[in-house]
Amino acid sequence: MLDQPQLPVAQRTNPERSFTEEVRALRLGEGEVFRGEGILAVTKAILQAGVAYVGGYQGAPVSHLVDVLVESQDLLDELGVHLETCTNESSAAALLGASINYPIRGCVTWKSIVGTNIAADALSNLASPGVIGGALIVIGEDYGEGASVIQERAHAYALKSSLWLMDPRPSLPTIVRCTETAFELSEATNTPVMMELRIRACHVTGEFVAKDNKPPAISRNHRLANPAAHNYDRISHPPSTYAHEKIKVEVRQPAAERFIVEHGLNEFLPGESSDLGIIVQGGITNVLLRGLDRLELEGRIPTLVLNVTHPLVPDQIAEFCKGKRAVLIVEEGAPDYIEQAIHAILRKRDIDTKIYGKDVLPMAGEYTAEVMTEGLLKFFAQSANDIDLSKPRERFEAARAGRTEAQRLLGGPLPLRPPGFCVGCPERPVFSAIKLLEREVGKVHISSDIGCHSFATLAPFNLGNSILGFGMSLAAAGAVAPVLERRTISVMGDGGFWHNGLLSGVASAMFNRGDRVLVIMQNGYTSATGAQFIPNTAGNRRDGETTSDIAATLKAMGVKWLRTIRTYNVATMLGGLREAMNTSEKGLKVIVADGECQLARQRRIRPQIAAQLKRGERVVRTRYGVDDEVCTGDHSCIRLSGCPSLVVKPSPDPLRSDPVAHVNNGCVGCGLCGEVADAAVLCPSFYKADIVQNANWWDRLKWRVRSSVIGAMARGGVGA
Amino acid sequence: MSGPVTILIGALGGDGGGVLCDWIVSAVQSQGLGVQATQIPGVAQRTGATTYYLEVMPRGAQASAVLALNPAIGEVDVALATELLEAGRMIFNGFITPDRTTLIASTHRVLAIGERMAMGDGSFDVGRLLRAVKERSKEQILFDMDQAAEESGGVINAVLLGALAGSGRLPIPDAAFEAAIRHAGKSIDTNLAAFAFGRGHARGELEQAVREHRKRQAAGQCVEDLLERARRTFPATSLDMVEEGARRLAAYQDRAYAALYLDRLDAVQALGSAELLRETARHLAVRMSFEDVIRVAQAKTSAERLVRVRGEVHAKEHEPLEITEHFKPGIEEIAAILPPGLARRLIAWAERPDRQGRARLGKVYFSMHVRTTTVWGFARLRFLASLRWWRPRTFRFVEEQAEIDRWLASIRAAAPLSTDLAREIAESARLIKGYGDTYKRGLHNYHRIADEVIAPALAGRMTPRAAADAVANARVAALADPEGESLSKTLMAIAASATLRHAAE
Repeated sequence: MLDQPQLPVAQRTNPERSFTEEVRALRLGEGEVFRGEGILAVTKAILQAGVAYVGGYQGAPVSHLVDVLVESQDLLDELGVHLETCTNESSAAALLGASINYPIRGCVTWKSIVGTNIAADALSNLASPGVIGGALIVIGEDYGEGASVIQERAHAYALKSSLWLMDPRPSLPTIVRCTETAFELSEATNTPVMMELRIRACHVTGEFVAKDNKPPAISRNHRLANPAAHNYDRISHPPSTYAHEKIKVEVRQPAAERFIVEHGLNEFLPGESSDLGIIVQGGITNVLLRGLDRLELEGRIPTLVLNVTHPLVPDQIAEFCKGKRAVLIVEEGAPDYIEQAIHAILRKRDIDTKIYGKDVLPMAGEYTAEVMTEGLLKFFAQSANDIDLSKPRERFEAARAGRTEAQRLLGGPLPLRPPGFCVGCPERPVFSAIKLLEREVGKVHISSDIGCHSFATLAPFNLGNSILGFGMSLAAAGAVAPVLERRTISVMGDGGFWHNGLLSGVASAMFNRGDRVLVIMQNGYTSATGAQFIPNTAGNRRDGETTSDIAATLKAMGVKWLRTIRTYNVATMLGGLREAMNTSEKGLKVIVADGECQLARQRRIRPQIAAQLKRGERVVRTRYGVDDEVCTGDHSCIRLSGCPSLVVKPSPDPLRSDPVAHVNNGCVGCGLCGEVADAAVLCPSFYKADIVQNANWWDRLKWRVRSSVIGAMARGGVGA
Repeated sequence: MSGPVTILIGALGGDGGGVLCDWIVSAVQSQGLGVQATQIPGVAQRTGATTYYLEVMPRGAQASAVLALNPAIGEVDVALATELLEAGRMIFNGFITPDRTTLIASTHRVLAIGERMAMGDGSFDVGRLLRAVKERSKEQILFDMDQAAEESGGVINAVLLGALAGSGRLPIPDAAFEAAIRHAGKSIDTNLAAFAFGRGHARGELEQAVREHRKRQAAGQCVEDLLERARRTFPATSLDMVEEGARRLAAYQDRAYAALYLDRLDAVQALGSAELLRETARHLAVRMSFEDVIRVAQAKTSAERLVRVRGEVHAKEHEPLEITEHFKPGIEEIAAILPPGLARRLIAWAERPDRQGRARLGKVYFSMHVRTTTVWGFARLRFLASLRWWRPRTFRFVEEQAEIDRWLASIRAAAPLSTDLAREIAESARLIKGYGDTYKRGLHNYHRIADEVIAPALAGRMTPRAAADAVANARVAALADPEGESLSKTLMAIAASATLRHAAE
């Protein structure tokens, strides 16, 4: 087990990620060239627009917005910008409530669709009274390749709550312009604006010419003497809500449509084939334009780029479509909200342009280059038989045939690389213990959750029956437990616990006397999103004090059966799980599985150790190894751990063909492989090696004496 | 106007693909060229595979040109891969093509979890990968970048950057790449060294000595006459196996045991198949040197072992090292080194339920952490190793010899029917390996195959050809999952087809 000193959870501090370059970019002034990623450009743009407050909940691909600002405290202090690292998206959305009564600009961010789901209640209540200060919600539309959440569109929220939705073309100048204009649009229409950025757009590199940051007129540096006067119209409560509903459609939406046209937010790209046209979401414009290049139609098809996808401007759409034979709507994901809306707009005006969309492009799935090309080919084949596409089609088919040939050559699917736990991850031992538990008691219903621990649902553990959302694992077992003979185990991270699990899970289980087991992974950070702070770690970034302790919280809520167990000790963890499963005590049983996120820990201790070594101090480095002469190549150890540093190599034995296990140099000495070999009674191949660096005289003396005696024994006795 | 140069990078989490991407962007920008890069990180980076995509505008192109964010099949100019399977994946997905793509990839393999967790050798066929790499790309720069990184003291992403510079596919001078590394400001010296290595290899200025995987020969002493006997008796095609087996068994036990090995092989030699002899010689040596605590103690206290461990854990010459072994013998391991009568009584006792109604066998273990770098710890293991004179009197030894004799007998019985069948039976011995549960599971699986396939085959209830296939299939199934579900299914299918054939006759 990891016997190097571990920090108590309350003292786990910032893992010293460095955003120095990014922080510098935020300080650029008028006329200087900003270079960097899309999401950082948004961060710079909101400062240029004079935001008074920023908040958010981390999640790919938008985590950096808040992360970088956390590191830019000096700049925020100078400008007077308040930053809130929220505990969930609901609290971030509610933060925008400041703009209901005060003319101050605010921006919040989260990952969508999941974050928008969590925020939905606050969003409805925000959208109803509306805002007088610009309110912007930057959502990371986690859709397509690399996405980690359910594939749904945030578009639905814009429609149902009457929020405006921007989907900017992924070029930095456009993204920046949209961000700045979003505040104006919000203020001109008293409506919060959502801006969606897909994964690749958040990470796209580029440049734009910066402006000076603008300190907000009202801010924590320039406070108001008095709160806003009581105005019942600004409260989302009946009868105001009846009036709000009417204002949304009668006043705000027409105002938004005017604003979009007047400010030229949507872009018109001219083309010589005036009887054809394409209407595309801003965010996937580049895929479309490259697709047209591929068909040698560059600059030939008039295109309307919707940097604002809600509301659509009926006049603008009608004007674009009028007189055209056919228009293709390029809209990613389901349902086809935009296509349906355009159909309705044209139908009402008796414009008989033929509309193509989800009939030539797929209803579901990302519009990759290949999907787009195929869709465009179909569109032109059906709508414009005067355009000769035989050559590009041939090239496209040849590329596909080449792929088929390559796949034949490779002979079947390649081994997958699912995400898994990092080297030395403290969560892995818990799942090793659960696997061993199942050997004793039989299969257990595992209710999984969002977080790194959801990787246990993949190889080699394959543990988990459902995922119902962040912090939902305990609640999700509520109706499973009563129909099973064995208790259920819900696994939740400390991030999920504070995000939602405490109330949705624990409080509800206590209230309903649920007889279930809950394992809380207390690693100290929301590790999956980039090791951000949570309430039980070193507190928020300012005072470094702990705010809330999980075990104390659970006790206060009345949890009676509660154990805190170091995760690396597999035998103890197994014992705890066994007891939780078998005890006659009814009610909720909670195991707080404690072990610091190894990624964060390594980031913290590596520079410390390097400094110690440089100073000549004694440092013991621990790592594990496998005796390749003793290992017989069954790989049980890998099936029970899956540590990336536990690999295989060819057997050194000329008589054996099965590869043997091997611990590579990535090993951080967590000791799980040894623990598992011990707890599962695997084999005697594992050894622990403690290497003494900068040894003192006593170490060296011991070593010399031992070496000479052992050497003599080894040479003298029987040969091996 | 010519289009942008498109670059696709495939990397594993931890390879530094993001940093590589940043270096390229920074180097390109320093030349005043347009560039756009994007990536799909997130959870994929945690031990998974991920890709990065860049487009570089040629000189003179308009700065406002629209660059794509997604790679397209057949439209990648340069593909970089930090590992061979990831190069294969970009080929599989159709991005790398023989008309266009320069592939710059490391030839080393990092096995995916599915390959590593197999009960035997689950690794993807490297031959297929290499063939696809060569046939499905236009030009290749291939070398072991993992090894180059290690030799240069740097990280693989810098080697790959060097190889990209060396390929000359981008209009960027070396100095610009080096400046990018300096500008990033981290581990500058090692990264520059790795960069130089990568560039040297790409330009053919450096030669890479392919790291050979060396097999270790057993150090059998005083067996020259036995080896001489082997050389006289056995064909050259199996001599390497036979000699290694004889040396190993002499070291494992003694000369007489090695002689017994040769005697047993004489009977197999008489069956007339050189291939059968070779395979049997291999497996027989492994089976005869079964893993008991004495052998483990021998391995852990050998003179070369400490040197090997020091190298493996990268302990420097002057650094003291402490090694702790993890042992957990149970009642069976203890019984294994007792005389047969005593051992059987111990096991019978352990199988009886105790007061709580549970058997002790498979439940009671003695967890021991022995420090072999201390005099006392080493001496204890040395004592165990010295017990090899006692081994022939132990329960395990007697049991193993009986098992081996039965296995050899079935090989001899099968050979006249079909050499293939005999070879498959010989090969089935690979199921029996390991310690504790692994050993029991392997032996149990072997017994199931022996009872349900080999015995009926030898009794003539299957054609020899069908029987050979059945044994091979059952063996593969036994290695498919530790729960034995695949084996059960396969055995049922074999039984069904044998019954069918029987009924048809």
